[in-house]
Amino acid sequence: MEVGVYWGCMILTSQYAYEVSLRTVLPELGVSIVDIAEVSCCGTPIKNVNQKAAIYLALRNLALAEKTGVEDLLVPCNGCYLSFSEAIHHWTKDDNLRTEINNLLMEEGLKFNGNIKLWHTIDFLHDKIGIEKIKTAVKKLLNDLKFVSHPGCHILRPSTIVNVDNPEKPEKLDNLLRVLGAECVDYPEKLDCCGAGLLLSHSETALTIAGLKLKAIKNLAVDGLVVSCPSCKIMFGAKQEAIGTIVGEKFEIPVLYYTQLLGLALGLEEKNLGLELNQSPIEKILEKIS
Amino acid sequence: MTIVDLMSEAKMNVELRSKAIKKGEYELYNCFQCMRCTSGCTSMKLLELKPHQIVIMVKLGLIDELITSGIIWTCAMCLKCTERCPQDASPSELIIALRNLAFDLEANVPEVYLKVVSAILDTGLIQEEQKVTSRDFEVYDREQLNLPKISRPGEVFKNNLLMLLTPEED
Repeated sequence: MEVGVYWGCMILTSQYAYEVSLRTVLPELGVSIVDIAEVSCCGTPIKNVNQKAAIYLALRNLALAEKTGVEDLLVPCNGCYLSFSEAIHHWTKDDNLRTEINNLLMEEGLKFNGNIKLWHTIDFLHDKIGIEKIKTAVKKLLNDLKFVSHPGCHILRPSTIVNVDNPEKPEKLDNLLRVLGAECVDYPEKLDCCGAGLLLSHSETALTIAGLKLKAIKNLAVDGLVVSCPSCKIMFGAKQEAIGTIVGEKFEIPVLYYTQLLGLALGLEEKNLGLELNQSPIEKILEKIS
Repeated sequence: MTIVDLMSEAKMNVELRSKAIKKGEYELYNCFQCMRCTSGCTSMKLLELKPHQIVIMVKLGLIDELITSGIIWTCAMCLKCTERCPQDASPSELIIALRNLAFDLEANVPEVYLKVVSAILDTGLIQEEQKVTSRDFEVYDREQLNLPKISRPGEVFKNNLLMLLTPEED
C-alpha cells in the first residue's frame, strides 16, 4: 500500500523522532511512504490572522498531495489534520471560496479535486492497516508496561469536521497500545488540552496547563504517557523539566510517540526509532522491554 | 481590566459586529448563555476566559472592546466549547473571527503571531530546521538522522499568501 505523508512544520523542523519512527515502522506493516514536494505550513498559525489564507495553504498542500497520485494522505500532526479537514469542509460548502482558491492554485498548475482521503496516525493504524494486522506483526509483547494515552484535541474536535475517534470517549489509541500487550488505563484528565496553543503568547500559563495534567498522570503511577501529536509531545516531553519548576513538582514521566512503542513491539532497533531524541527519562521503559 | 470593566464604558458597534459575524460559521443568536462552553474551557481556570461572555459581547456589538482587550488571545484553541455547545454558537470559531478582525484593523495582535506569519512568508514553514540534542547531549540535524532534505514552496506561493493577508477594501 502506498500512502502520501504530509509531515507539517513541527515534525520537519524539530520533532524528528516522530518522522524517524514512522519511516521505520510503516514499511514493516507493508506501507510505502510517498513524500510530497514543495509543501508549506498547513495553515493553522495563519488561521489566527486570516482564515481564508489558512484555507489556501491547506488546499495547496492537498493539491500537491493529489498531484503525486496517491489516494490516501497520512497527516501525523493533529493540528495539520484539523487544518486540512476544515479546509475541505469550506471548499465543499462555499462556491465563491472554491472558485477563488482554484484560481490561485491554477497559477502553479495545481488543482484540488477533493478525492484524497485523510488519515491521522491513530485511525490509519487502527482502521486502515487494522488492529488485527498489527497483532500478527508484533514480535515482542510489552507485557509489563502500563500507560496512559493523550490523543490530543484537534483530531477529536469539532466532531462535525474531524472524526478520527469518539470526541468525548476516545479509545483507539488505547486499543493500539493494548494490542502491543501493554496495559492502558483510562483517567479523568484524558481529554485535557496540553496547552501548546498558548505557548507562544502566554508561555507560563501554557506550561502550567500541561503541568496540571502531568500532576494527575504522576499520581496514577503509570510507566509512561503516549502521544501522537508533535505539539503535545513538545509540551509533555521536552518541556517537562521546565513545567516541573513552574508547578513545583518533580516529574520523571517517560513520554513517547505511539509509533516508537509500536516499533519496539515490532522488534525494530532502538536507533531507528529516534528514541535517543526523547527528552523525558524513557530508559525505565527501554529496560523493561529488553 | 476585566470584561465587566470593559462593558461598563462600552459602545455598540453595529458595523464591526456584522464584519465579525460575516467571517465565520456560527449560530450566534441561538446562544442562550447556558455556559457549557465556559464550564469546560481550558483557559478559564488560569486566564479567566469565559467564552459565553465573548458570545454575548459580540451579540451586543462590543467588538472594539474585544479586539483591543487581549482576552481573545487567551484561548488555547482546544475546541471543547465548539464541540459541546448545544446551540452551535461555536465560541472558538467566533474567537478566530475576532482575531482575524483584530489583524485586519491592526488592533491588539500579539507580536509572536505576526512573527510566525513572516516566517511562513520567508521560508514556507513556521521556523527554520532546528538542530536537536539527544539525552546523551549529541547534536543531530535531519541529515545525520538520514531524513530527506526539506522541499519548500516557491515565489507564487509567497505572492498569493501576501495578497490574501492584505485586508480587502470595502
